[in-house]
Amino acid sequence: MSPAFLNFIEIFINGLMAGIMYSLVALGFVLIFKASGIFNFAQGVMALFAALTLVGLQTGQVPFSHLINAIFGTDIHDWGPGLPTVLAILLTMVVMIALAWVLEKFVLNHLINQEPIILFMATIGLAYFLEGFGDLMWGSDVKTLDVGLPSGGSFWWEDVTRAWAPEDADYWGMYIDKLDISATIIAVVLVTALSLFSQYTATGRALRAVADDHQAALSVGISLRKIWVIVWSIAGFVALVAGIMWGSKSGVQFSLSLIALKALPVLILGGFTSIPGAIVGGLIIGVGEKLAEAYIGPMVGGAIENWFAYVVALAFLLFRPQGLFGDRIIERI
Amino acid sequence: MNVHVHPTQEFRFMRPDDGIKQGDPLLVVDNISLSFGGVKAITDISFDILKGEIRAIIGPNGAGKTSMLNVINGFYHPQKGTITFRGQKRSRMRPHEAANHGIARTFQNIALFHGMSVLDNIMTGRITLMKRNLLWQALWRGPAETEEIENREIVERIIDFLEIEHIRKTPVGRLPYGLQKRVELGRALAAEPSLLLLDEPMAGMNLEEKEDMSRYILDVNQQFGTTIALIEHDMGVVMDLSDRVVVLDYGQKIGDGTPDEVRNNQDVIDAYLGVSHD
Repeated sequence: MSPAFLNFIEIFINGLMAGIMYSLVALGFVLIFKASGIFNFAQGVMALFAALTLVGLQTGQVPFSHLINAIFGTDIHDWGPGLPTVLAILLTMVVMIALAWVLEKFVLNHLINQEPIILFMATIGLAYFLEGFGDLMWGSDVKTLDVGLPSGGSFWWEDVTRAWAPEDADYWGMYIDKLDISATIIAVVLVTALSLFSQYTATGRALRAVADDHQAALSVGISLRKIWVIVWSIAGFVALVAGIMWGSKSGVQFSLSLIALKALPVLILGGFTSIPGAIVGGLIIGVGEKLAEAYIGPMVGGAIENWFAYVVALAFLLFRPQGLFGDRIIERI
Repeated sequence: MNVHVHPTQEFRFMRPDDGIKQGDPLLVVDNISLSFGGVKAITDISFDILKGEIRAIIGPNGAGKTSMLNVINGFYHPQKGTITFRGQKRSRMRPHEAANHGIARTFQNIALFHGMSVLDNIMTGRITLMKRNLLWQALWRGPAETEEIENREIVERIIDFLEIEHIRKTPVGRLPYGLQKRVELGRALAAEPSLLLLDEPMAGMNLEEKEDMSRYILDVNQQFGTTIALIEHDMGVVMDLSDRVVVLDYGQKIGDGTPDEVRNNQDVIDAYLGVSHD
């Protein structure tokens, strides 16, 4: 194989794996949108908040230490060496479930039967609240997150692929980050587990029922409030996984919450109501922007990766506004 | 019409007896008034539903029939009046609580889960009877698995009873209207209700489908002893099926009694013939 073709494959694979990360965030959006019709603007901040909490527990930070020190003039920072990773992840999950419960109890429950735009605005408020709350609780400095996933380039893959090129070619093998591979595996496991749960359990059936028709779901005895807590907890779990992946890759910091914006074109592409859509949409965006950067970028001076996804989404809106897999809205007249 | 065998013995309702004797009031509606802003949907309506009977609610369009059903199963909360169900008085209730207490219903414009299969739709009817917690379900082991299998067996019997075996796995959205109505009945039956509310179960059906549906309703009532309240426009069907009829017009009760009494009631005749209200 020629080095040019191998390069193409390398970019393609890296695009797929970047796409998986986008899919993870988009998945959180779709879960909530399907079950409650709410576009959760706070999904990205939830990922940030989950990652912050995880790092804080892992490193043994005292929550609200800045606030406590400022008020009482104390100088406390850590309470100990921190928790083992597994325990920290479990505790973070407990925090996310508690967050879902509080949210249902104090926000969503009071907004039942309101217009979707009002619920959307509530989630914008939630995004700002969580952002500030997270900073107040754990500090706003950039933190490194290490949950023990392998990272760095895979030498094995580099050796294997170098042999694919002709002997005399100037080619040194493909670069693939091991962290991306772990992320891919985890995402596949997560999506499989979620779809099995929704297909084969009574609660999963209730979730699908609520997503399909609220009124009918109520009439068979499904408590919407309970389902919402479950859905937001699952979205919190997905946010945690996305937070771990993105946090391990580029550090836990405010910009983590902006990945939510990257999920937007993914959702437009895949459709707001489709889980497979979120995955395929993420992959298309990931591959598309990497290929565009490599092949179209040099022609226009580069750095098109950042906006390419939105252009693709715009083109999609013109021709297929419901996305690849979304429900087509057919109005009976 | 095709002949079918009733699986009578093995298919009995397991909901613990509610302590109400056959023929005693199961549900009493007392002085219910409901309005939306300035529009009065229901004004001071009282009637009762006796255990084991088929009670029809009829009336011209906009008479408040569906509103009445919505009040009974908790979708609407009346401003005035009380409802006594199985001896418990209440003024308001949430729909999922009504379902938990044994009130199941179908809707005028079918409210099924269109993306889900017939089997899954009917399984959702048993949600109030499935109590295993989330953790067991997530592991798909032990009690949750056993429970799923037991409930699945009951649902299969309901599917047999309604003769819809051939469409078990079909997504409901693809089925013709008449079959969807039947699936919706199946979902309501799956809850093993004390009181079954049917909102126009035969609307939009052809003659043969109507006959089938009437037969299912009678079978449910006679074999399982389920109390049924139904809204229907087809007078022939109403008079044949029901034990007693309550007639509403402009949100008020204008008649109540056996089909024969109602048929000869002058107010009812006027309402249906459109005599002006002075």
